[in-house]
Formats: sequence, structure tokens, C-alpha cells
Amino acid sequence: MNKIKRYGRLYRVLVSQFLKTILQSKVDFFIGLIGFFFTQIMGIAFLYLVFEQIPDLQGWTLDQLIFIYGFAQIPRGIDHLFTDNIWMVSWWMVIDGDFDRYMLRPMNVFFQVICEKLQPDALGELLVGFALLILSISKGVVAFHAADVLLFLVSMIAGAVIYTSVKLFFASIAFWVKQSGPFLQVAYDMANFAKYPTEIYSRAVRFLITWVIPFAFVAYLPAGYFLGQRSAFATIGAECVIAVVFWIIAYSFFQYGTRKYESAGN
Amino acid sequence: MIQVEHISKEFVSPKKYPGLKGAIKGLFSNEKVRKTAVDDISFHISEGEIVGYIGSNGAGKSTTIKMMTGILTPTSGQCLINGIDPSKNRMENAQNIGVVFGQRTQLWWDLPLSESFTILKEIYNVSDEDYKDRMDFLNEVLDLPEFFDRPVRTLSLGQRMRADLGAALIHNPKVLYLDEPTIGLDIVVKDKIRDAIRQINEQYRTTVILTTHDIGDIEELCSRIIIIDEGKKIYDGGLAELKDTYGTSRRVTMEVRQPELFRKIDWEEKLHADESSIETELDDEKNLFSVSFDKNRIQVSDIISSVMQISDVRDIQIQETELSEIVKAIYRHALKGR
Repeated sequence: MNKIKRYGRLYRVLVSQFLKTILQSKVDFFIGLIGFFFTQIMGIAFLYLVFEQIPDLQGWTLDQLIFIYGFAQIPRGIDHLFTDNIWMVSWWMVIDGDFDRYMLRPMNVFFQVICEKLQPDALGELLVGFALLILSISKGVVAFHAADVLLFLVSMIAGAVIYTSVKLFFASIAFWVKQSGPFLQVAYDMANFAKYPTEIYSRAVRFLITWVIPFAFVAYLPAGYFLGQRSAFATIGAECVIAVVFWIIAYSFFQYGTRKYESAGN
Repeated sequence: MIQVEHISKEFVSPKKYPGLKGAIKGLFSNEKVRKTAVDDISFHISEGEIVGYIGSNGAGKSTTIKMMTGILTPTSGQCLINGIDPSKNRMENAQNIGVVFGQRTQLWWDLPLSESFTILKEIYNVSDEDYKDRMDFLNEVLDLPEFFDRPVRTLSLGQRMRADLGAALIHNPKVLYLDEPTIGLDIVVKDKIRDAIRQINEQYRTTVILTTHDIGDIEELCSRIIIIDEGKKIYDGGLAELKDTYGTSRRVTMEVRQPELFRKIDWEEKLHADESSIETELDDEKNLFSVSFDKNRIQVSDIISSVMQISDVRDIQIQETELSEIVKAIYRHALKGR
């Protein structure tokens, strides 16, 4: 308990240092935010363009697709907001020897990695995600009961953990090859598949995003519950199991990697 | 305080071939190159010692320090710092040590220095009382107040180094590792840093391990030095003994009244010495006659008395080999096998 309190306090201290630093350049901050918001709008516009040509996709209506799309943005945004610094590990910190810093301080290494940065760009994803969800609910695409709020929260957190696990796993490869940015980029881009129902993809892709890089569990599967198609146990339950399993794998791999860390010569 | 037992570190990297063809070949080959950066090094350091850890670039100094601080995991062997194995209990060890890497700052670059200290106080869980005591001491020995409110990136190298040293000491570590703490500093700042290190060591009995290429650091701070070369420990002992063991050559320079008398004398025969242990030089203009010799083979008194038999001597100067000469010889691997 004391430990949690201490880390909570440290998190506040470290993150507020980061905020002080970025607020020194407000312009960058807002340009980043606006840029990201536009990316999101483009994504939805693209969806509309496609559906003007094909009014339904393997039985999915546009409204349902929008729900899945919005649903997918939220765990992605949560992960993006809190753990963006993992990218730095994969691209630079290991090869430059900057990772030394984390090894020298009496704090958990992963904790230090994530509290060095918050990514405000993620607010764009979260905003669009919630806007689309509210739209879907108002259109009656999904029936939202009071108890579902809790399941929704659980699903969001589990989804974010899956994102973080994938990032952490691929970033950890850097401890062996020095720079794993390209691997991480490919893996992370697979998440784009998660915005749409997995049935529209080929078998190989479906297998990949279900069992190798489990982004199918992030949005499509749990969204199925809220669309009233499947039970909570088979969807959100499965998502939680996958989240825990992949987190354990990724975190162990990361821990093992820190023991293989070679630093950099002076 | 510190026990290093048969510690080794091996780096494995894929084999590289020259040229574009080689790069492609490298992609498909599975050959590995093993490089032993630290090779079976052992030493013990007691509480309160200041030890110089020296060697040429790439000798394995930093690698050893990085293993002792918990950054690197040894390939074999182990070290115990105050009873803790850094590769097993990294966090516990981190609480006990302070580290300064001369070429890399640990401070928050864009924030005022004062903020870095506030954060470190939280990270190391220093109580308000201890923090105040420490800051009073550090402000005194390092003069931090003159730039305490400035962003770290605006500090000069000397100020930054003082700040880094202060930051490494905020939690009163038992062991302080300094990796080239005076690199690139001017003489005044160097003196200040050395003074501070000495005071910290005296006041708090902090054990200090310091790597450096600066002979001044070693002469002024270290009572003991460990020299490594190509990953192996080649010397471990006091500074005086190092000079005794390796610095056996002396040079005696005499100002003589009649230098012309010295021209035709065979000194090797006169002093019963072989060619390699003696070398003479005559400066006619300044009337200087000098002899370089190995003090283990020839007595300086023999040389002086022989010279005085030939001519009057106005002045005598005896020089011992400078430490820098010894270290240079070590870096050139010239002392191998001795």
C-alpha cells in the first residue's frame, strides 16, 4: 500500500515536470493537437466515402461500423496518452545509452519510462472516440444499460493494456538489436485493422490480429457485446484474459531485456 | 564496502563484412563476434577510500562501473556493493549509490536546476530535515546558489558538473561513482570539484570510485589506484608503490663549470653500468650535463661524486619520472609482462 502511495506521488511529481516543460512551448502543443484532430476527421470521412459506394459490408451497417470505429479509438487513445515514451525506447534510448538513466534510479524501470511523457495528441483520438460513441447511442445502434458502463470501462482498460503490451514487447527487441522502431511501427500499424470488423479480412490477417498481435480483442470483439450480438463473457471476458496474458509476456520480455541491455560506449 | 569477484563482461555482436556486398552477406550470416570488455577482474574497496580507476579508452573502465552501478549485468562473476548485488537488487542498490557521468547529465535539461533537486528529493525519498542539511553542505562546497534558478541547459560545463555532483549526493549515498568528472573543465573549476570530492569523502566517509584521464585528479585525490588494460587488471595499489615499481628511471641534471671536460668520458665504463641503464646529455651553452639512469642499478651518489671529481658543480637537480609518463607507458601497453 505504501508502495502504491509512493508511486502515485512520484507519478504526480514526474508528470508535472513534463507538463511544465511542454507548456514552455504552447504553440507546439496546440499545433500537435489540431493536427491529430484532423487526422481523425479524415479517418471518418474516409469511412463515409467508402459507404456511399457500398451501403453495407458483410452484413454490417454504417452505424454499426461507426460504433466499432469509435469504440476502437478509446483504448488506443488511453494507451497513446500514457505510454507514448515507449517509442523513444525502441528508437533511441537503447542505442544512445540514454536508458542508463532509468537503471540508476531506485524506481521501477517501466514506471520511469511511462512517466517521462504524456502525449497530448491522444486527446484527439479520445475526443473522436467518445463523439462517435455518443452518436451511436443517440441513434439507438447500441442499447446501453447502467451495468454496461462498468463493463465498458473494464473493456477500455483491458484494450489499453493490450496496446501497451504490444508496444512494450516490440520495443524490448531493441535490447538485442539496439533499434526496434521499424518492428514496433509495423506491429502498431496492425491496430488499424482493429477499427473494422475482422470478418472483412482474409484468413491470414484474421489469424494474425487475433493470435499474434491481438488487436481484434481491442475493439471488434468487445463491441460485439454492446451491439447485442454476443455474451459479455465471450467478449469482454476473453479480452481481459488476452490482456493479462499478453501483459505478462511483454513485461517479462522487457524485464529480461533490461538484463541484456548493453548501454553505449562513451 | 565493495567486493568485486571475478567479474567479466562479454559483448556479442553480429559479424560485419566490408562494403555493400559484405552488408548483404552479414544479413544472412549467423556469425557472431565476441568482445570481452572486462576480463575476470576482482578487487575489494573499504569504506571511505578514494580509488582511481584508470586505463586507456576502451580498456573497460566504464563497463566495470556500469556493472557496479547496476546498468549492466555481468556475464560472469559478481559484485557486492554494501552487501547488495546490483544485478539482482537494482533498486535497493540505486538507493545507496550516487553516479556522475562526466559526458552525460542526469538533470532535467529544460527545467531550472532547483526543480531537478526537488524531483530527486522525491525519488530518493529524502526527508525535509536531511534535505536541508544536505543542501546547506552542498551549497557551501559547490556554490550552487549562484545558478540554482537557471534552466540546466543554460549552465556552463563547470556549473553543470557541480550541479550534477550535487544531484548525485542529495540522498547521502554510501558510494559515489565518478566517470571522468573533470573532463573538459578549466583548472579553477577542476580544483573546486576536487576540493568538493575531498570534503564529501572526509565529512561523510563516502567511498569514491573515480575514472579519469587526468593525472591531477589521481595525484590529488586517490590514495589507491587500480589500472586496467584490455579488460584485465594490471595494477592495484598505492600511488607511491606504482612510482616505485614502474617509475625507476631518474634524471639528474648538473650545472658544471667546465663542460668541455665531459666530452670524452665513457660513463658506462666509469659507473660499471650497461648501455641500457644510462644515457647522458651535454648542453654546452648552458653548461648543463644530465644523466638519465635506472635507480635500481646505479646510485645517484655515485654519479654525483664521479662528476664532482671532474669538475666543480654549481647546481644539482634530480627528477623522478612523472606519473603521467608511467601512465602513458601503461596506455601504450609498454609495461606488459613486467
